[in-house]
Amino acid sequence: MLSSLRHGLSPLNILRRRRLHTRRGDLLNRWPGWEVVIGIEVHAQIRSRAKLFSDTLTSELGQPANTHVSAFDAAFPGTLPRLNHKCVDLAVRTAVALNSNVQRSSSFDRKHYFYFDLPAGYQITQHYAPVSLGGYLKIDGDIPIRIKQIQLEQDTAKLIVEPRTRTPYIDFNRAGSALMEIVSEPDLTSPEEASNYVIRLQRLLRAIGSCDGSMEKGSLRCDVNVSVNRPGSPPGTRCEIKNLNSIKFMYAAIKCEIQRHISILNSSPHASVPQETRGFNEDTFETFKLRSKEDAPDYRYMPDMNLGVLRLTEDYIQGIRQTMPELPDAAWVRLQQRYSLSDAQIAVLLAFDSEKEIPYDGEAFRDGPVAYFERVAALTENPRVACNWVTNELVGQLTARRETYNDNTVTAEQLAELINLVRDKILTRSSGQQLLRYMLDNPSQTASPTELAHKLDLIAMSHSSGSASATMVTPAKPAADLHALCVAAIEGLPSEAEAFRRGNKNVLNKIVGHVMRASRGRADALAAKQALEELLNDHQT
Amino acid sequence: MQLACVNSAKSSVWRSCTPPFLRRCISVHSEASQGRDKKSSVNALVYVANKENAAVIQGPLNGVSVAIKDNICTASMPTTCSSGMLADFTSPYDATVVDLLQNAGAHFVGKANCDEFGMGSLNTYSIHGPVINPFQSKLDKGKWVDREQRSAGGSSGGSAAAVAAGMCDAALGTDTGGSIRLPASYCGVVGYKPSYGLISRHGVVSFADSLDCVGILAKDVATVQRLNSVISAFDPRDPTALPVEIRRKAYDAYTTRTPGSFEGIRFGIPQEYFPSELSPTALEPTSRVLETLKSLGGTLVPVSLPSTPYALSAYYVIASAEASSNMARYDGVQYGLKVKPEPSALEGDASNRGKVDIRDIYAQTRSTGFGPEVRKRILLGTYALRADAFDNYFQQALRVRHLVRDDFNRVFRVPDARFEESIPVETDCNSPDIDFLVHPTAICPAPLLSEAPNSQGSLDTYVQDVLTVPASLAGLPAVSLPVSSESDSGERGDGWPMGVSIVGQWGCDETLLNVSRELAEGMS
Repeated sequence: MLSSLRHGLSPLNILRRRRLHTRRGDLLNRWPGWEVVIGIEVHAQIRSRAKLFSDTLTSELGQPANTHVSAFDAAFPGTLPRLNHKCVDLAVRTAVALNSNVQRSSSFDRKHYFYFDLPAGYQITQHYAPVSLGGYLKIDGDIPIRIKQIQLEQDTAKLIVEPRTRTPYIDFNRAGSALMEIVSEPDLTSPEEASNYVIRLQRLLRAIGSCDGSMEKGSLRCDVNVSVNRPGSPPGTRCEIKNLNSIKFMYAAIKCEIQRHISILNSSPHASVPQETRGFNEDTFETFKLRSKEDAPDYRYMPDMNLGVLRLTEDYIQGIRQTMPELPDAAWVRLQQRYSLSDAQIAVLLAFDSEKEIPYDGEAFRDGPVAYFERVAALTENPRVACNWVTNELVGQLTARRETYNDNTVTAEQLAELINLVRDKILTRSSGQQLLRYMLDNPSQTASPTELAHKLDLIAMSHSSGSASATMVTPAKPAADLHALCVAAIEGLPSEAEAFRRGNKNVLNKIVGHVMRASRGRADALAAKQALEELLNDHQT
Repeated sequence: MQLACVNSAKSSVWRSCTPPFLRRCISVHSEASQGRDKKSSVNALVYVANKENAAVIQGPLNGVSVAIKDNICTASMPTTCSSGMLADFTSPYDATVVDLLQNAGAHFVGKANCDEFGMGSLNTYSIHGPVINPFQSKLDKGKWVDREQRSAGGSSGGSAAAVAAGMCDAALGTDTGGSIRLPASYCGVVGYKPSYGLISRHGVVSFADSLDCVGILAKDVATVQRLNSVISAFDPRDPTALPVEIRRKAYDAYTTRTPGSFEGIRFGIPQEYFPSELSPTALEPTSRVLETLKSLGGTLVPVSLPSTPYALSAYYVIASAEASSNMARYDGVQYGLKVKPEPSALEGDASNRGKVDIRDIYAQTRSTGFGPEVRKRILLGTYALRADAFDNYFQQALRVRHLVRDDFNRVFRVPDARFEESIPVETDCNSPDIDFLVHPTAICPAPLLSEAPNSQGSLDTYVQDVLTVPASLAGLPAVSLPVSSESDSGERGDGWPMGVSIVGQWGCDETLLNVSRELAEGMS
């Protein structure tokens, strides 16, 4: 879960991005006299229980090698593919979310090449007729980045080279898992835009449950096409950088590639960039040549005769549209309009929400922080206060405990009751935090926060009994306690009390602090201040 | 990547260049062929099942002995596909057809020889050696073991020969372009290629997925029907299996016939199926069949299938392209033959010389493991799929395939149930409205093995398939019935049997088999 935080999904990053969100022209003067054209192919692993063409369960990173392999996955003779329709559902859901045009009929093709990670000698993909064409994803507010196509295809096996003996080992766990290849048009103009595009896509895929979006785990990988040209000239020769597996590396690779192209083009008026496929060295942060255009393999694409045509009816596509989970942009608008949350609050809430565990096969999400917040908000008065409790206090404490929202044991009803206790000044905010910590430490679905507050002696001290809610236990005793604490504080700090009486009003804060410490947070600072003032003034007279 | 197999393909008889470790396997298999005198002189079975292990399941096929072509996966017996690549391979699972037969109580006699991965028309491309036709002409007065050495046909030559030699009641074969019908014709047995998509291909080693069919060879049609009623079942594990509703629709369209009578049945005789290559001996059995059909009340109608002359070329482009793709998995990495790579013999930059290139690993294993015919077809198919050749070859072949299918749909009375709105290509009232086509299965009787063309030769050998590939391209059912050439005083024939094919519209298999059975009864 924390992985996505590290990779730019953290609330802070999102805030910063929104604030820094640059207009396109701003970046032009970074490479004066040059225009940059970038297109991205994203390979996103579909969050399905079984692989694309077999019943074998998909695997998580770190599971023992070759424990998720069937005869089909290892390309044994006589095995035949059988399309897993759950993968189609999720690809279509993705297409709809990207405003793409789902094709009523599409088909599968074989892409041939020989390598250890490809047991059949071909990958089944959608070369001639992909499942969806067109579409767009908006970045930086309102810049649409066009989608060219979305295609379904098989993932490869994983080649692991034992470093000492340089012996290659093959792990087939991943072989045949479903991928969506989401191909953008070359609409991106800077490494920043490229990064934002991938981040937005990650969030979208997570929100609709079609991919967990983790680049760290390899569930999302990028190939990036970069070219550079003079303004007004046709696009330059593009180079493809393969297999970038973090936003940071992608950003660095694009930047490096732009500079490389510019220095080639600057070297002489007739210089041109050779068309190449390049890799990225994660140690030197530089791209390097993998192969030139001349070495480009001929994949001998051929229709897969076993799988035939995938036909989707309008009713089916409509059904996918209707069961679509709420998209992040729609959630943003709803949270703003219904609850009047601030942008910052919404950003944080959605960022936490995007970390909720993604179910397999597009099944319904377990409620995330947004749904939780809405339940709390329905039981409390002020949505902004409720939101702060959910994001700052609850998720904050969970994060401090190295846990996530998914580990939360406090029910929405319990948190709402706690918030109301604080609202009614039966608990101080600080006591409320303590109570929440206690409830996380001692999970119980049935425990009442009010009863716990009494049991733990956390009820607020107040100098006036009238301020408490009538429905609550009368806080007469706590008021008496506060009085006693104030008296004790004045007695314990005679020189400060004397100083106050002589007119040094600032010294009161020190005495208040003493009371607060002695009350273990149960005292309300303002009430304590009033009580102390009264006591000290009384004494004076 | 280049397929470096040209050099080692020089020797004309593959067996002579079989590496020593493969010869070992071959000898083991031959010894396993018990009943040496008879069985080894045919070389039909490459693995003989252990009788003690035979499961006794009560079922409709109790007492029926069946040979399984060696490209159909069996967990209890090796599945070599007659290839050096899989010489030591045993599948981890049973094909659906094997399961079905076993559960119906059939008894397996063993695995039947075939051309490597089903590629061949004479069953001469096999690490197990060629199959020798068990038939002996009455004109041949010598001892049976010294009979004329003729081909059993391919690629299901072992299946046909095993039935002909009485080693089993029936055999499973596969038919991609004629691989059941041709050996049935050469060996004098019944060969049935079903409609594409009726019998499960799950567990059948793919040669060309869009054409491959599992079928049945037997002494008589009734036995074919007994097996067919068990294995012709929808299998969710085969993505090309046609659903039950479509099967039902096709069946219903053909069941208006009165059993035992050919009254009102129209048999089309396609003029294109009597090419110049057709030997005169092949004509006579067909004429006798036509006479019988007429005497049984059938109507004979001359028809034209004008795309037929292009079918063979289209077939070889499609089948080779698909084969080149399906053969890609045999690389020695997961299973099968693996040759320890020698340092690079490939051209390339000097820095690679003396090192083992990844291409060596593939090229050396594949050049050693595959026989000459498979190598040739991989090269043909690889060429046809190149980006710059794809449109002119593969796409063009698919267009021809459509024309061939249109031809059939134009002459059949019933539309093809697989296609929703199967509008006749021309709704002209001159449509011959036929129920079945009748034509010779092969252009000649079984050729002598000594005259069998080798893979270095021209494409002549492919002419064997000229009459069988159109039905394969269109996915239509066909039965080849054996007709002896002896009853007519023996003067015109050489005493060898010939097959006559009855072809029907897609999905009419049950009626086709009934008509074939009644026809065969009428012939005798």
